[in-house]
Amino acid sequence: MGAFRFMEILAWFRAIISFLIIIVIWQSIALLGLVPEKYFPSILAIAAGFRDMVISGELVSAELRTLSRALLGVASASLLGISLAVLGDLFPSFRRGFAPIAALIQPVPPAALVPMAVFMLGLGPKLYAFIVILVTVWPPYFNGVAALASVSDVQIRTGQMLGLSRWQILRQIKLPAAMPEIFAGIRYASSISLIAVVVAEMLAGHDGLGFLLIRKAFAIRIPEVYALMFVCAVNGLIMNTAVNGLRWRFAGWQLRMAGQAA
Amino acid sequence: MSILPDRQRYSALVLPVVLLLVWQVLAWRASTPLFPGPGQVAISIWRLYPQIVGQIGYTLMRAAAGFLVAAVVMIPLGILLGRLKTVGSVLEPILDMMATLPPPAVVPIVMLFAGTGDAAKIAVIAYAAGIPLIMNTYEASKTLHPMATLVARSLRLRRLETMVFIDLPASLPMIATGVRLAVASALLVSVTAEMLLATNGIGVFLQRQQENFQIANGLAAIAFISMIGLIVNDLVQRLERRLLFWHYRLDLHNER
Repeated sequence: MGAFRFMEILAWFRAIISFLIIIVIWQSIALLGLVPEKYFPSILAIAAGFRDMVISGELVSAELRTLSRALLGVASASLLGISLAVLGDLFPSFRRGFAPIAALIQPVPPAALVPMAVFMLGLGPKLYAFIVILVTVWPPYFNGVAALASVSDVQIRTGQMLGLSRWQILRQIKLPAAMPEIFAGIRYASSISLIAVVVAEMLAGHDGLGFLLIRKAFAIRIPEVYALMFVCAVNGLIMNTAVNGLRWRFAGWQLRMAGQAA
Repeated sequence: MSILPDRQRYSALVLPVVLLLVWQVLAWRASTPLFPGPGQVAISIWRLYPQIVGQIGYTLMRAAAGFLVAAVVMIPLGILLGRLKTVGSVLEPILDMMATLPPPAVVPIVMLFAGTGDAAKIAVIAYAAGIPLIMNTYEASKTLHPMATLVARSLRLRRLETMVFIDLPASLPMIATGVRLAVASALLVSVTAEMLLATNGIGVFLQRQQENFQIANGLAAIAFISMIGLIVNDLVQRLERRLLFWHYRLDLHNER
């Protein structure tokens, strides 16, 4: 336990140091004038831009909208992906029929969907739900299908021997066994969902971080643009933390086992 | 993959065909050009495929250029950072942070420095493709088996030689995973970049169709994008299996 604590503190320490180094490098580039100051503002200017946007309230509302869209989207996409994977596990013919559809839809970029979806779904929440779910449902689905199919026979037979029904085997043996891999998919999906939301906001939105980013860029408010990029990166960290927390809850058995072994 | 028995092959076709029929019926009932059915999309594909293929050509070329730039810069950098442990561990949190930044968010900044031409689009694509490449390369070369380093030392390899002859080959399997992710994200971001920094390419084609309310044409272009994505991803996977046959063979042995 003590060693674990120490490692944690060390990781934080390293993060702070690397952050400081970046600030020093950034500031010296800005001060030396290697790059035109207009395009490469100092940290102070960026912080001032950040403060202005917070005071005017536009940053907070945009941030809340973008984050809630991404979180809601990835949550519903994960539930849908897991349900589809379970369905595919129960009915192999569904899985085979769904495979070509999934293979065709999966490589379509969110940006390509936005212009067409606008006509059918308008500019409201339906648009974001459609884009995010259509783009992020695949990692949990594919990982779920693969993981459910590769649960060890011994475990399933043990369940049968204990007289569990098919549903109980799925619920108590297969799904828990598949959870670590499903969560790997959800983690990937959460980073794509953030991308999809920002892209949709940039192309079709009238609010949110993506829209604010484009508007500030066209107004040539460069410090604000950098501040917004920073906020976008922080969003990624927030999503990661949320997914990791849930993972501990649903697939924690694997981590605990790994911890014991070490 | 063996050939499926006849009955199974037909059952695999049921769902797609049913979905197409449902779509067609819905489109007939809606009977508006804003909600075209699969028939109209097929006609659009037939009419427009020379134009679409030409535009996708531009897109693919830029995606390939961006990916190459990313591979040339990021793979050596990842190996270097994995070797130089102190520098690597200081830069790691920064890499983590950049990995969480959505690639389209860098578009406004790239626009400032590189305008809206090919260079700007390639830069955005290279950024998107570079993140998974450097993350995977760095991770692989950092967690290299200690024996590999000892072998290098007993062969009296110099630092550069160790990186080229030991670290790079040993990291290839994880780099391959990075390449797969990078190719996928290069394709995704190339369309996005074209829509935001319009000149030509399939992204611009899509936007033009939207402005003219030609939904069927737009869906035709999306169909092409998805086919191309499917083919490219499949090619990358095959190439990986072929070039890294020794890695997969090793896996087989271990399982036995």
